[in-house]
This record gives sequence, structure tokens and C-alpha cells, in this order.
Amino acid sequence: MIEISPDIAFIEKLQGATGSQLTTCMQCGACTASCSLSEDQDVFPRKQMIMAAWGMRDRLMADPHVWTCHQCGDCSVSCPRGVKPGEILAALRQEQIVHYSKPAFLARWMQKPAFFPAAILFPAAIIILILSLAGTFSIPEGPVDYSEFFSHAWLNGSFTALFVLSTIGAVIGLRRFTRNVFTQRTVQKTNPDKPDQGQSPQAPQPALRGILTVLGRIMSHRDFNSCDEQKSRSVTHFLVFWGFILLLFVTFFAILSTIFFEYPLSILNPIKIAGNLGAMMLLAGSSFMILNRLRKRDQSNYADWFFLLSFWLLTFSGMLVEGARFHEWSFAYHLYFFHLVMVWIIILYYPYTKFAHFLYRTVAMIITRSGRQAG
Amino acid sequence: MDKKSVLIIGGGISGITAAVEAAEAGCKVYLIEKRPYLGGQVARMNEYFPKLCPPYCGLEINFKRIRNSSRIEVITSAEVENLSGTAGDFTIELRLEPEYVNSSCTVCGDCSAVCPVEAKDSFNFGMSMHKAIDLPHELSYPNRFYLDDLVCQKESCKKCEEACNYDAINLEAAPGKRKIKVGSVLFCTGWEPYDPTNLKEYSWGESPDILNNVMMERVGAPNGPTSGKILKPSDGEPARKIAFVQCAGSRDENHLPYCSAVCCSASLKQAIYFTEQDPENRADIFYIDLRVSGRNEDFLKRVEENQQIRLIKGKASEVSLLEGSPVIEAEDILSGRKIREQYDMVVLATGVVPCIPGLKGIELDPDGFIAKDALENGLSAGGCCFEPKDVASSVRESTGLVINALQ
Repeated sequence: MIEISPDIAFIEKLQGATGSQLTTCMQCGACTASCSLSEDQDVFPRKQMIMAAWGMRDRLMADPHVWTCHQCGDCSVSCPRGVKPGEILAALRQEQIVHYSKPAFLARWMQKPAFFPAAILFPAAIIILILSLAGTFSIPEGPVDYSEFFSHAWLNGSFTALFVLSTIGAVIGLRRFTRNVFTQRTVQKTNPDKPDQGQSPQAPQPALRGILTVLGRIMSHRDFNSCDEQKSRSVTHFLVFWGFILLLFVTFFAILSTIFFEYPLSILNPIKIAGNLGAMMLLAGSSFMILNRLRKRDQSNYADWFFLLSFWLLTFSGMLVEGARFHEWSFAYHLYFFHLVMVWIIILYYPYTKFAHFLYRTVAMIITRSGRQAG
Repeated sequence: MDKKSVLIIGGGISGITAAVEAAEAGCKVYLIEKRPYLGGQVARMNEYFPKLCPPYCGLEINFKRIRNSSRIEVITSAEVENLSGTAGDFTIELRLEPEYVNSSCTVCGDCSAVCPVEAKDSFNFGMSMHKAIDLPHELSYPNRFYLDDLVCQKESCKKCEEACNYDAINLEAAPGKRKIKVGSVLFCTGWEPYDPTNLKEYSWGESPDILNNVMMERVGAPNGPTSGKILKPSDGEPARKIAFVQCAGSRDENHLPYCSAVCCSASLKQAIYFTEQDPENRADIFYIDLRVSGRNEDFLKRVEENQQIRLIKGKASEVSLLEGSPVIEAEDILSGRKIREQYDMVVLATGVVPCIPGLKGIELDPDGFIAKDALENGLSAGGCCFEPKDVASSVRESTGLVINALQ
């Protein structure tokens, strides 16, 4: 016997977020069958659909399959009832991020437009505070030199501290998620009414190899590419993904150069070239993402837009800041300040926005792979 | 004008039943059929559900009742062009297709023997060939040959006209018109299977081994293209493993939003007569829910006990082709696994689409059926006009509907 106490508010929230009437789902399984990522023995999203319809919030919060979905939309197209399993899973992912986030208020800030001013003013205020402490909160005279405005030591120090802080938040969230997933799995396995369907005899894959396989799949976008609908999404994500990673390395090297070498780098320095290339990829990818969303307006909500737009603004303002330095624009420092606020928004909020998907999805993919044989 | 007169549009099982019941109750009956023969969809069926008896048995009894009645006038190859008037005084204008073969035909077959044109036989959904002049099917009523004027060479050939010893053929026949006045009108215009060309995900048209359920009835029928042996249309080899895809276009908002009501019974029946042909035969039925009600549930039990038939809960999401053979993908919901299986033949259980003529006084509901409450006084409808229905309920309903004509 499974006892079900439906969480009505949860059902209504999911329906509100997706515009899907969960009760019209007739559990035909067309979504699962059309999903190219659903494995033969471990299927989704039909199961998630009935759990959602029955308001089984606890089970869904502990479900890693919500993350193995890459939201290609194959299931929503094949659904004979116009319910959108893909959208439901997207809403569940957002719900999981909010559910596991600590401190929880930061995750709530990301969800509602009402908190938008706070979400922007909070990092801006802190930057002003740091600048005031450093005693450089004024526009410097002479040729554009950003280190006059925000010295490298203060910049590197404060931003690294911020990154460490938010990463602690991210780790706490991930730990809560992983623990919950494993607890729920044990509960299900020991449920005498639901015999294990022959999955246990399989030897679990060696952990390290499993992790490497998953990382390989992420880097090559293999799972993303297997979707039939909306193939372009994989390309745009590929651009953003590698553009971001490239910039991450460049940033790391830039921090080192501010300490050990000369900075700023010349425009022909290979590191600088790599940085500009990464920025270009990021800008192109995220611009396409925005255009794709504008074309079908119903697929995004505020939290999704907040993340995507802040990412785009971060990239675009970064490129402008670079241009301003070369061309000695009078408002260079204003741009720079804006760019720094965007950097703070991204770093401060990364465990609470859609950005956290890279953590949750990676962990979920590793968990769902373990207990299954390689190949 | 006889006050108790009725015009029945549609000579399928519903129309025929209503016609004989009304005539035997003293009514003047005009039975209008657009095809050259009566019997509609039932004439093409292999077996009835759930008794698995030949449908022609029941049709022939009714044909005999029509022949014996002086009050029924059967008008084939005719369509209603206009309907006007009110209850008790309707005027119907008919368009009559040219009658190339008249009632002098003795079904001797001399015309067909000399006919040089072969064409796909539409009675068998193009799965066999027949002559341009031929019997519509071997038991057709009225029992006379029919000339298919889309393929006949007419003036340039004339061989059949010369061969006929009974002056039954007139290649110069022209289309006609006719006006009939009656007291009431009954719609029994029937249904057609949902157009499978819309079912791209099921690879319709890409392999002759992917059929729909009405074609399957012809394949199983003793007077069908394979004399009742269920063979793969692609190579004529016996089919050993068949999949039935339920709700192929039904209960789907991209196709027919409603449940077509009869396809579950039809597939269960087809699986039974297929597996009875050979103990090696295997049938898989992919379903969302098996909708068989009332005493038909006994039939479901019979299927469940049949070791050659597997009932798989899960909608087939795709039928693709692998080395020419159809492959089905679905989730087997009861075991929570995805399955991918290859078959010799796939039968799509396509649903019921109503055939309603666009006439004054007829309003349609959003699904294309006649809106029951909007029917004008003096008009009534049976068969699949209001909703998808099986033969037994259509017959019962038609018998009852006759009261409308008698009042």
C-alpha cells in the first residue's frame, strides 16, 4: 500500500507555472516512448507526470530524473492530450532548486519579480561599500585604467571571498539534494509491495568511470544532441557552455597576471584572444537563446529570464568595458561598475538561479548512472 | 403524398435496418446509398464482434426483407444535393450517378471477361485488382455489375457493351436528378476510418505491411484479397507476428479528441481470428485503456487467457521501419520499461470519423458529429451520426428510430 497525501498547493503551482492541466494526462506513456534520454529500464517522464498529478511533492523533490531531462520538447509534441511533460519537468527542476537552497530567501528572490529591486540593489550596495572601504569610489582622471577605480587587490580579494561564500551555499544545497535522493531510493527499494524489477543483480559501475562518462557526455553535449525537436538548442548551449569555460580559464589566468605579470594584457596575447573568443561565443549563444524564447513566449518564466538576461548583460557589458578602455569612452567607469554588478549577481546567485542546473544535473546524471552497467 | 413516408440517407447496416422496420410497419421508404451497393462498412467486415460470425449472414436476411417488400425503393449511386421543407413535407433533391449497367444485368460476367482495363479494387482498399466493369463484390446488393467510370475507356473500347447479351450496358448513360417528397428524413450516413495519412509518426504509406483496421478486415475475410489467409501485403508470406496500435488518431488532440468506442473490440476480435489461423501466430495489442463494456468484457477475458496474445499497456509512440519491417516503440507501463519490437505487420486501430452531408437543418458539434439537440423536427439520425457506435447498438437504435417516421 502506498499512502498518498496530495499536496494540492503543489499541484496548482505546477499547473500555474506550465499552463498544463495535470488531470488530463491519461498515463499512456507516449512521452516516455518518445524520449530519447529515458533509459529502457529506468523510464521518465510518465512516472513524474502521475506523481505530479497526485501531488507527491516529496517523491518528486527526491527524483534525479527531473534533471536527466534536457527539455528538448519531444514528449510535449508527442503528448496526445496537450499536457506538456517537458514543461512540468522544467518547473520541477526550478522547484527543486528552491527546495534545496540555503539560505532559502535568496532562492525566493530569484522567483518573483517583486524581489527584483532587492536582487539588483543588494550586490550594487555591497560593491559601493567595498569601494568606499577601499577609498576609490570616484571617477578617476586621465586615461582609462580600471585598476584606478577598483584596485586589483580589492577586486580579487572581495570577489574570491564572494565566490567561496556562494559555493558554500551551493555545496549545502547539493548535499541536501543527494542525501534526499538516496534516502528516497532506499525507501523504495525496501518497499515490499514494489518488488525490485531486476535492477539489483547488475553490478554498479565503478564510481570514477561513471563520473568520467557523465562528464564526457556533458562536454560533448551527447544527451542534448539526441533530441529530435529543437536541435538548435543544443548548438546554442554548446556555445554558451564552452564560451563560459574558456572565460573561466581566462579569468583565472587574469587573476594570476594581476599578481605576477603585467595587466591588462595586450590585444594580441593568446590569453586575451581566447577571452575575446569566449565572450563572442557566450554572446552569440545567449543571444540565440533569448531569440528562441521570444519566438515562443509561453516557455519561460521570470526566474528563467532573470538568469538568462543577467548572463547576457554580463557578457555584453564585459565586451563594452573592453571597448571603452581601447576607445577612451567617457562613461567607461560607469560601464565598468555596471559590469561588476552583473558579475556579482552571477556569482552571488549561482546556486539559486537556473545556473545551479550545472551542479544538480551533473550530480543527478552520475546518480542515475550508478547501479546500471556500463555501455 | 403519403404522410407516412421516410427517406433514409445511407444504406449501411443502420439505414437498412431502419428501412425494413419502417416498411414492415407500413411506411413508404426511400433508401438512398452513394455507393453502387448496400451494406456500407459492414459489407467489408470479416467477422462480427463478439460472436465472430460472418456479417453477411445478417445483411442477407435484411436484403431478403428488402426484396420482399413493395414499400422500399433502393436508390444506389445517389447523393442528396438539397433538403428543404418541414416535418411532414420535405423535398429532397438527389443527384444520380450515370447508370451504365441497368437492372437487366444477370451477373453472367461476359463484360468483365472482355474488359481490357485492370484497376485497384477499392472494395479491398486497393490490395487487389479488378476490372473496370466488375461486381462491386461477390455478394453485393443490388446484384449487378458496376462500371467504374474513372478508369473505363468508354467510347474507344465498348467491348463490354458488345459482349453483353441482355442490353444491360449503356456507355452513354448520363447523370440524372430526382426529386422526392417525404414526411420525414432519417440520416444513417455512417462513418469512415480516420485518414491515416495524418499519422506520420506511424510511418503510414511507407510500407504495405502497415495497415489500418478496416483493411485488416479485408485481409482476414474469405472473400478478401488473400482469401482470408493473413499474409503480409509486401511479399505474400504468412504474417506470424502482428501488432495492433490502439488509439491511432483517437483520444488525441492532434487528431480525433474523442474515443472512437469500437476500435478496442475490433482489435481484440482481429487478434483472435489472426491467432486462430496458426498456433505459431503472435499478436501484441498496444493500448492506453481497453474499453470494452458490458457483456463484451467476457470477450476481453477470452483474449486475456489466450497465450498467443499479449496486451501491452502503453501507447505506441512511433512505428518506424527497420530493414523493411515495422518496429514499434512504446513504454510497457505495467513493468515500467521501454520496449522496441519488430513485427511482420502493424495494424493501426484508426478511429471513427462521421460522414455527415452538409445540408440545411443539420448542425455539427465540435467533433463533427450531428448536434443532437439542434436537429429540426421531422429529421432524425442513427448509426454513427451522433457518436461512434458498434453494429449491435446501431441496429437497436435504428429499430427504435422508426417510430419517428410513423408519427
